[in-house]
Amino acid sequence: MAENTIAAKTEVQDLQKKEHKEERTVAGRFFIPQTDIVENKESLIVTMDLPGVKKEDLRIKLENNILEIDGRIDYSPYEKLNPVYTEYNIGNYARSFTVSHAVDTRNIEAVLNDGVLTLTLLKTPEAEPREIRVQ
Amino acid sequence: MFGRLSNGLDIAIQKAVEKARDNNFFEAGTTGRGVYPFINLFEKEGDLVLAAELPGVKKEDLILEVREDVLRLAGTRRIEYGQDCSCHRLERKGLNFDRSLKLPFRIEGGGILAEFKNGLLTVVLPRAEADKPKKIVIN
Repeated sequence: MAENTIAAKTEVQDLQKKEHKEERTVAGRFFIPQTDIVENKESLIVTMDLPGVKKEDLRIKLENNILEIDGRIDYSPYEKLNPVYTEYNIGNYARSFTVSHAVDTRNIEAVLNDGVLTLTLLKTPEAEPREIRVQ
Repeated sequence: MFGRLSNGLDIAIQKAVEKARDNNFFEAGTTGRGVYPFINLFEKEGDLVLAAELPGVKKEDLILEVREDVLRLAGTRRIEYGQDCSCHRLERKGLNFDRSLKLPFRIEGGGILAEFKNGLLTVVLPRAEADKPKKIVIN
């Protein structure tokens, strides 16, 4: 009984830890960018809307098979502007994905164009479908 | 760099977003919620500044027109993937859009500055000289 309670507590703590990992220390709002993921024969293509993010303010990191995209927006054009009618809020963008082993992690191509980030993740040859001959 | 400034600004915008729900700045019409693209209007030294997020829209697919106090923003957002692609997740939407906004005053057509950069459209809409309030000297 007592053991069970301890187990449950650690579970909660683990969960809290996990959640805290997602917490950010940067001021301002963070949005989850809208993303498309499509796959073709040789690659996985991740397309993400990041309006207002400049190339130099975009960070893409791959660590322990987690692909992290962090885009910051420049607030300076909004200085001295007084909102009179608003429909959307502005903020930074962050999203992360777990990349499977089927992807060649050393070979990821990223292009930012018109506020859209396109990541091309090449599949490893091992992940390509193979026909297995029956003996 | 993004510290205090961003904090204060996004709170100000959020407050304005909430206020906009019961505000009929553009008068009651069919263009309520659920329109595309979302726009923000700012005031700067008596002029208006419009901002709209249009990621992935090509400049040549965008139409921007002003007639007196009506602004039209139309265009096409194309999202295409090859025939050989299979989809895992599709959150982005391709669509045709056409939005007209009635502004609170007439716009000086010649002074409009439009910029489209990183998927963000910014349009400076100067108030027409003829539409500016006249100051009356009280004798």
